[in-house]
Amino acid sequence: MAVPKRLYLESLRVGDELPTLVKPAIDRVQIARFAGATNDYNPMHVDETAARTAGMPSVFAQAELPMGFMSQFLSDWLKGGRLSRLAVRFVKLVWPGDVLSCKGRVLARRRDEQGRYYVDVDIWAENQKGELVLKGHSTGQLFYNAEDETRQRRGETPLLADVSEMSELPRNAKGKVVRPKTPAPRPVAAAKPISAARPAPKDLAPAQKSKPAHKPVRNAAPAKKAGQR
Amino acid sequence: MVNEVEKGAIRRFAEAVGDNNPLYRDEEQAKAAGYRSLLAPPTFPGTFDGGLDLREVLNIGSRSVLVGEHSLENHQPICAGDRIYVTTRVVDIYEKLGTGGVMDFAVVEDEGRDEKGELFFRTRRTLVVRPTAKTEASAAPATPTPAPH
Repeated sequence: MAVPKRLYLESLRVGDELPTLVKPAIDRVQIARFAGATNDYNPMHVDETAARTAGMPSVFAQAELPMGFMSQFLSDWLKGGRLSRLAVRFVKLVWPGDVLSCKGRVLARRRDEQGRYYVDVDIWAENQKGELVLKGHSTGQLFYNAEDETRQRRGETPLLADVSEMSELPRNAKGKVVRPKTPAPRPVAAAKPISAARPAPKDLAPAQKSKPAHKPVRNAAPAKKAGQR
Repeated sequence: MVNEVEKGAIRRFAEAVGDNNPLYRDEEQAKAAGYRSLLAPPTFPGTFDGGLDLREVLNIGSRSVLVGEHSLENHQPICAGDRIYVTTRVVDIYEKLGTGGVMDFAVVEDEGRDEKGELFFRTRRTLVVRPTAKTEASAAPATPTPAPH
């Protein structure tokens, strides 16, 4: 079997856009199938009469369905990598007929103390009217390059590459920067100095500006539990 | 509560999402890629049963519930044949005044481990419980029930 093309951290830069995934229009059959697949028959999703009685214009999609789209979008992109974290906030309900586009942008590249590499991405989905339906962030674990993959698969010490944007910090579901409580311990082998362990606020400004222009509707979720995890 | 990961359940889930990743459908390819069996999609834990009836525990009767936020950490890949022990806990409950009345919120955490206790995943959902059915029943034309559009 041919080895599929892989994504390596080496090829990514902060600000890179992920290839957009446009899903086919959601219909009631897909919503019903998803209800079956998750064994969750909440009438709001499968019973038109019950949904209307509850004041809804029609049935609507389970939140986990667009969440599944995001997982597909990210896993397809991370070919050879692993989706390790996915956090989203649902901004708008998703209706039969909606065509969702899943989008993302590279926020940061990181290496942990064990020499594993991660990419943090901002993610969001829009419907056919260009309205934001969900937003959040995600983390994928990748190899730095083919050499790093070979070494790690053999159980050798990982390649310690200088990830120059390592100083970029991940953000939580609310888009706020999550600052590590303590600086990550420096790996012994990484003797070369990583100069910008603490970025000036200026460094983050372009990333913030380049976020999607949409302002999420602030009614779906509470502001209280902002910094979970 | 133990959840046995079945091949058919993985395939049905991936089909419902419309995700054609061969690792979720073709066992040979999944094995060639180094997995024990068919790989489960990252959001597959959403199908698991934590053995807790949230409607009962939260005492919300027939009120409708929306998911406001959902986060998921995958620590290890889940494959067909795995037996995952899932624990569901309500970690926070609070209320806020919304346009349609008092909205209740519940934060629910799920955790999945194998029989050795190794962590496979952790999820956290913020559930939004809409005001009581009384408000909704009167939601005919001229009521202030917030339209989701």
